[in-house]
Amino acid sequence: MSALLEIADLRVEFSTRYGPVTALDGVSLHVNPGETLGVVGESGCGKSITALSAMGLVPSPPGRVAGGSIKLAGEELIGARDARMRELRGGEIAMIFQEPMTSLNPVFTAGDQIAEAIMLHQDVDRGTAFDQAVALLDRVGIPEARRRASDYPHQLSGGMRQRVMIAMAVSCQPKVLIADEPTTALDVTVQAQIFDLLNDIQRDLGTAIVLITHDMGAIAEMADRVAVMYAGRVIEQGAADDILDNPKHPYTRGLIECIPNLGKGANEDGGAVPPPLAEIPGVVPPLHLLGDGCAFADRCGHRFDRCDTARPALMGDAHPAACHAVEEGRL
Amino acid sequence: MSAKAQSPLREAWRMFRRNVPALVGTAILLTIILVTLYGAFFYGGDPYEIVWAPHEAPGVTPEFPLGTDYLGRDLISGMLTGGGPTLAVGAAAAALTMIIGVSIGALAGYFGGWVDNLLMRFTEFFQVLPALLFAMVLVTLFSPSLTMIAIAIGVVSWPQTARLTRAEFLKIKNLEYVTAARAIGAKNGRIMWRVILPNAAPPLIVSATLTVGIAILFEAGLSFLGLGDPNTMSWGLMIGSNREYILQAWWPVTFPGLAIFLTVFAVSLIGDGLNDAFNPKLRER
Repeated sequence: MSALLEIADLRVEFSTRYGPVTALDGVSLHVNPGETLGVVGESGCGKSITALSAMGLVPSPPGRVAGGSIKLAGEELIGARDARMRELRGGEIAMIFQEPMTSLNPVFTAGDQIAEAIMLHQDVDRGTAFDQAVALLDRVGIPEARRRASDYPHQLSGGMRQRVMIAMAVSCQPKVLIADEPTTALDVTVQAQIFDLLNDIQRDLGTAIVLITHDMGAIAEMADRVAVMYAGRVIEQGAADDILDNPKHPYTRGLIECIPNLGKGANEDGGAVPPPLAEIPGVVPPLHLLGDGCAFADRCGHRFDRCDTARPALMGDAHPAACHAVEEGRL
Repeated sequence: MSAKAQSPLREAWRMFRRNVPALVGTAILLTIILVTLYGAFFYGGDPYEIVWAPHEAPGVTPEFPLGTDYLGRDLISGMLTGGGPTLAVGAAAAALTMIIGVSIGALAGYFGGWVDNLLMRFTEFFQVLPALLFAMVLVTLFSPSLTMIAIAIGVVSWPQTARLTRAEFLKIKNLEYVTAARAIGAKNGRIMWRVILPNAAPPLIVSATLTVGIAILFEAGLSFLGLGDPNTMSWGLMIGSNREYILQAWWPVTFPGLAIFLTVFAVSLIGDGLNDAFNPKLRER
């Protein structure tokens, strides 16, 4: 099966006051039709920039795609004409944002905004578009869709707004849907509903989903395959089950250990207590301070001399990881 | 959550309705508009016709309660007829100010970079010109018609609106719903006018309202300096043509002046009310 969205060796640079900084350093990813790719990592790892690159929305200046290729159904997006990109955006590839509170235009009703999106890509009049919008709102599980369509964003709850965003994103049946932390701003019960909805839509439309998250729990629930990103690079990639059960890179292990696990430990009386929350020490290093070695070395418990001198490459076939320790069998 | 859809405009109207000074301003302005529109028709009489002795004081002759001007023309007739052109110049100049200012400010704020640089230097050039002098030059060079006066006022007043619009666009263009609009495939033009502008509208509406007042004063100022349209009765022209005799007769200057004051005062009250109505920080629930 050929990949629907294929990102190869993507490099994105930002000019900052510290000079040019490489935000994405040779990122390669692909998503197949009907598949969900999870992209995980902490804040500042380049997840969102990867998503914006695929949409052709890297803020420029200061950002700049410095190399690599992004292919959507075989069509090269880097260097594509603006008019073509606009056709693709919303039509073939759509995006859901992290903050449903701020990603809807406050001065138009939910229905109007979805109708606008429809009219951008389909040759229909406003009435038809609005009817389609109502049908979409119904489809994403908004009760009394016709009445809700004339509500303004501030009248809707966070979960409803994210449903409206999803309705807008899938209004033209895109082949690829990028969800950038779609549930981070929502409470847990609503999170589960949104994931169910995304799964439903994927089943009905065969949409490929790129789910960007820092939450390994969300990955476990949603993803077929996973790419773990750190400091602008993919450091581990593979099938979701494989990565969750058998993580190779120390960073991935750290992320998985960070999932709170209730009731595993025991106190002296034999009663169950939750073990202390695990964490990965330190923070993602500022990109302009990256040296020659492994970007994770400072935070890694398995660091050895090679980690400081050479940056590990992604090694392996089905489940590659970029780690010297893994490569040398020390882990 | 209310059952009824609350559009931002309706919400603002709800706030405006509770603002007593703003309602008073609206009432005054509506009265002035009605009187200047229909007053002359009911009152009859020709504002240009010499009907009595010059400089008849108000209250002396029952037929001319406000007295007569330096030529012996009826002041009430002049006031009723002159209000329309005065308001029209104010509104036209304000409209022109908004059209130029919003267009330039929006382009500069949205595109940034060299477009912003170029447009803002252009704006600064107009901003540092002495406004009254420049308007005088324009009116002197071309004809002192009402249209020209409105254009002159518009040309010297737009830079502030441009700066305000630019600031709003700079602020709004980086908000997430603008990125979201782009992600759905919207063009630049659509994003500027359909996404950003409606969100930038509140301060612009307030500014437009206040500009009407400023433009009316500006027209009065030009008329006072003798640069009004001599062929069209307006409050400014009445002040301008009677100013030489102000020491002999105060009334032909004072009554149009009061009318202008009242109009600008009403417009300012409305502008302030709109400002409060659109400002979410001042909105008590």
